[in-house]
Amino acid sequence: MSIQEKVEEYKKTLALFPNPQEKYQYLIEQAKKSEDFPTELRIDEFKVNGCQSQVWLVPEEKENKLYFKSDSDALIAKGLVTLIASIYSDEAPKDIVNSEIDLMEEFELGVILSPARRNGAFSMLKTIKEFSQKLAN
Amino acid sequence: MIKVSDLKKDFPIFDREINGKRLTYLDSGATSQKPNSVINEMTNVYTNMNANVHRGTYVLSSETTAKYEEVRNKLKNFINAYSSDEIIFAKGCTEGFNFLANSICKDLNAGDEIILSEIEHHANIIPWQMAAAKYNLKINYINVSESFELDFDHLESLLNKNTKVVSIVGESNISGMLPDIKKINSLVKDKTDAVYIVDGAQLVPHRKIDVQDLGIDFLCVSGHKMLGPTGIGVVWGRKELLENLDPVYGGGDMIEEVFYDTATWAPIPHKFEAGTPPYVEAIGLGAAVDYLFNLDMNNVQKHSDDLREYAKNKLGNIDGLNIIHTNSKLAGCTFAMSVDGVHATDISLMLDTFGVAVRAGHHCVQPFHRKLNLDATFRATGYIYNDEEDFDILSNAIEESIKLLT
Repeated sequence: MSIQEKVEEYKKTLALFPNPQEKYQYLIEQAKKSEDFPTELRIDEFKVNGCQSQVWLVPEEKENKLYFKSDSDALIAKGLVTLIASIYSDEAPKDIVNSEIDLMEEFELGVILSPARRNGAFSMLKTIKEFSQKLAN
Repeated sequence: MIKVSDLKKDFPIFDREINGKRLTYLDSGATSQKPNSVINEMTNVYTNMNANVHRGTYVLSSETTAKYEEVRNKLKNFINAYSSDEIIFAKGCTEGFNFLANSICKDLNAGDEIILSEIEHHANIIPWQMAAAKYNLKINYINVSESFELDFDHLESLLNKNTKVVSIVGESNISGMLPDIKKINSLVKDKTDAVYIVDGAQLVPHRKIDVQDLGIDFLCVSGHKMLGPTGIGVVWGRKELLENLDPVYGGGDMIEEVFYDTATWAPIPHKFEAGTPPYVEAIGLGAAVDYLFNLDMNNVQKHSDDLREYAKNKLGNIDGLNIIHTNSKLAGCTFAMSVDGVHATDISLMLDTFGVAVRAGHHCVQPFHRKLNLDATFRATGYIYNDEEDFDILSNAIEESIKLLT
């Protein structure tokens, strides 16, 4: 599935939950279902700056594609980073660099994606793009 | 007596609904909401009399100047300063501490000492750290005990002939702690020739303050935490101390005479207020002071004490909730909280879905959070427009949020 197709899928799913509380519960479920994250990877090298809670993103390259492991000490942030990591995993670095998707616009996720806040989601995306840019070069 | 249901009508923000629920605003520690009288007064200045202060020779400027200068007098009465010349307008407490740290520390000697406490807001730490690095000064921190109170024995042991500044919070924005200001003042004055500065950011909005009775030297006041607009606050200082301090900012309006190679300063308070001041905000603060004065600060204080008592019992009954709050008889209505295994941002995001506004993070008191081994807490603060119902809603929302998050 392309990045755009995955975004569309999540958009449809999130639209099923009309109020912020249900959306947060959906993110919490994603967090709980997510793959175990090795605690030894909770290190500064993989830490995403700019989030209110601690968030880690670990890139891995396999056969010219990127995969991301992710974690957070807060559940809702973990759900969000799980979702973002799955959108950009199994993709070629150049496709990630070239994708111009405004998650704030696509997902109506209330205050956690408000552009006015010093934004954690923005920092997660920036980190993913920076990893991809390095590999695309 | 404050009747919250009547008083709330003065605050238009409470007409809003959040996520389909009534707004339960419990973040006044970060900023207070504004009554119509403040909003209308600022609109009135822009609509009917706007002109720069201290400069014009025309009706608008003289009206604005009179209104602006009248605010100094209102503040003088509000905190019982000796003179309205002691009221220096600043952007807020942060600018106030930066001004005081820069101006006071410039005249100190290497090795001189500054005393702060472990529970200070960053605004009362960083400016001193910066000045200490520049002038080779030493900072000592008074221990704060496990019950979130100042350790007076430790303070006493820190005071010595090198102590030149003691700067301590008047009401903690974390634990609600209300240190005994008179006791600190007499210890400081008995053992040192240091100046004693009180961080009044949380104190002045909630309690009746009389600087003459307290005997302190400086007080920093934040306007936006006491119903006023943002961008305006006050540094109060004893006249004789202010007269001996040099200005930190230079520019228009703070001078007496300017030559190409030198200049002389205007008398206080103007020598500390370079450039066009935020006069509309200052006039808005004047309206806020009027509002609080009409309520009577004795009533405001009693309301805070009653609400604190109620909230303390209510929140204390929630299973699994850790509360960072002093057990002292008197304290501010401020509760920093945590739940084992649940992140503070998760709780506060969930509380928002119930229409409850609280703050999550370290509340600009990071070293103390580190001491308690906490990354973050969420904090509820009550003010004049909050009542028991707000804390009932908060308590239910916390219980529901814990269920949703565990």
